[in-house]
Order: sequence, then C-alpha cells, then structure tokens
Amino acid sequence: MANRKIVSIHSFRGGTGKSNTTANLASQVALAGKRVGIVDTDIQSPGIHVLFGLDETKMGKTINDFLHGKCPVSEVAFNIGERALDSEGRAKLAGMNLWLFPSSIRGREISQILREGYDVNLLNEGFQTILKELQLDYLFIDTHPGLNEETLLSIAISDILIIVLRPDNQDFQGTAVTVDIARSLDVPNLILMVNKALPKYDFADLRKQVENKFHAPVAGVLPLSFDLADNGSKDIFSLQHPDHEWSKALREVAETVLAIK
Amino acid sequence: MPGIFDRLQKELENKGGEGGITALDLADLPPTLRKIMRLMLRELQLNYPQLTETIAALPEAERLSGKELDEALDVLTAQGWLIRIGQGEKAIYKVNLRRKAGSKLASGVWNTLDEKLKGKLPDDSTTDAPPPKEE
Repeated sequence: MANRKIVSIHSFRGGTGKSNTTANLASQVALAGKRVGIVDTDIQSPGIHVLFGLDETKMGKTINDFLHGKCPVSEVAFNIGERALDSEGRAKLAGMNLWLFPSSIRGREISQILREGYDVNLLNEGFQTILKELQLDYLFIDTHPGLNEETLLSIAISDILIIVLRPDNQDFQGTAVTVDIARSLDVPNLILMVNKALPKYDFADLRKQVENKFHAPVAGVLPLSFDLADNGSKDIFSLQHPDHEWSKALREVAETVLAIK
Repeated sequence: MPGIFDRLQKELENKGGEGGITALDLADLPPTLRKIMRLMLRELQLNYPQLTETIAALPEAERLSGKELDEALDVLTAQGWLIRIGQGEKAIYKVNLRRKAGSKLASGVWNTLDEKLKGKLPDDSTTDAPPPKEE
C-alpha cells in the first residue's frame, strides 16, 4: 500500500479558522515538495476556495457536480500551482503540486445536495481516486464544523486528524466530543491545534493545559492576529508573511504533519 | 399515473437507501470488524486473497487469523455493510456506506427556494468586498 495520507481538519464549532488553517497547512506541505490535494467537504457552507482566489467565474466543475454524477472527480481538480498565482503569497506556489477540489457556491447546487442527499460511497470513492490518480502524498479534507455525514466519514478514513480549537470553554466541550469519536474510530494520529490565543496568555502553559485535558499532543498554539484578520482570506497568510508569529506557529504544525510516518 | 414497475423501482431505491453503514455506526463496531471496515474504506474493494494478504501484512498485534477474518466477513456481509460479489477465493468485497438522506422539509419549501434562486446571476458576494474605511 502506498504511503498516501489523508489529513482531516476539523473543529466542533465554527469560526475557529479551520479553512484558513487547512489552506495554509496544505500550502506549506506542498512547498516542502509534497504532492497535495485539498477537498472542500463543507458542502453546506464552502469557503476555502476564497483563500486560493477562486470565485464562481473561475471555479469550473465542483464536488457537487461529481456527487451528482455530472463529471469524474478528476475534472474537479483546480491546479493551484498553475492557475492561482495572482497574489503575493500564492505566487510562491508556482510549480508546486497542489490541487483544490472546491464545493459549489451556487445556491441552487447547495440546496440540491441538502434536499436530495447524496451517495456517501461515491464521496469516499472520490477521495481514494484523487489520492491514487494524482499520486498524492497528502489529501487534506476541510470539513464542516460539528458532526455530520461528510465529517464523520473523513474522520473515519483519516490517517491524521487535526482538531482546531480556540481557548474557549465552548470549544473545549465540543472538542471533547470530537476527540471521543476520533478515538472510537481508531484514528491513528490525533493532533490538536489551538488558534486565536490571546497574546497575553502563556502559550507554553496553555499548550500543557490542553494536552492534559485531552491527552493528545498540541502541534501548535497560534496567536489571535489582527494582521490575519486584516488579510480577510484574500491570500495564504503564511506565504505572504512568512516571518509573522502566526506563520511560524503554523509551520510548526506543518512540520508535525510531515514528521508522521 | 405511475405504473406498478415505477412503484417497485421506487421501493427498491428506498430499500437501497436504508441499507449500508454510517460512519457513526463504525464507532460502535467491535475492534476486529472496525479494523476491516477501515481498511475497506481506504481500499474501496478487495478480493479475498488481497484481503488475507493485507491483513497478514498488519503489525502482529493487529493481525487476524483466517477463521477470525472469515467470521468477520460473514457478519459484515450479513449486515449489508460489506457487499460480497462472488464466492470463496474469488469473492470480491466492497464497502457499503449508507446514502446521506435528503432533507425532510416539505417539497414546497425547496421548490420556492429553487424558484427564487433560478436564473440568479453570479451573486455580488463573489466580488471583493470593499475594504472598510480606516479611521
């Protein structure tokens, strides 16, 4: 069996910076010379495409088209390393092997999925086909917050699950639920990432607290950043501002992912 | 008016939709069965010799005996969580995930939404929002 890894990024609640984290991590891993795919399974509220400069006019085929049997999953692939280099950060991805599989942002297509459901076998076949056909080293899955069919499937098939949480009691309770489910699904590598930590916190102490609470390693504590908020999902922040504290901590998480055999 | 075959076809489709395993069901499986299901989810389909070969290649603590594997496959196929095509050494196994059900909202709600969305041009949200004025 080839050593192809599925990495799911999840958070129990919205607003943790999950899509931003996924886009930045996948970009860093691609920059390390790996072949990387990103699937947006947040079918109800897709968003990661924005970080790669895509809008409805540039998007082409989507995961929704694939799930409705309108095209093979290979036709959904959007080659970031060739076609999304129109910003300072993304320009650094030129020639990298990074593909995005976006979900549709057309209202009717979102409502069609919600109304009719879809074949979950087909979604899983899509993941495995992407891994094999593009000979990926890593497939990142950006999930919908909370627990639903796509999220649970992506957790069940993951080699690595990264749970993003804020230092917030609601996030802590929700994360406990996801950690329990991940453990009962035998996910081999469970990693936590604390995002939006107030700069006044002692990050080393926070890391220790979270690790003790969930009995899982924290790969990085990322600060709450006005600079990142100001970026407004227009670019891949860690590429645009590689020396920023947020970017350094993000790269620590990417290194953890790369170190997992 | 729908004919008898249309009705039977609909019934079959509905039955098909009820079968299969959900990702949440996986969490409740005994470890042996879950191990096989996780393997099958990644491999999509394997024939019996490939399955035994893959199981044999697992770390010693995770390996299953031939008897354990056969019993597990029988349980999983009986439940409809794995589909067995063929018999014996030639059997091919495929995972069977339950279809994600559609919304239970009245169809009128969706039809109204569809009407509203029909013909709508790429919406304005796809263009960059103007940056807020700095004070």
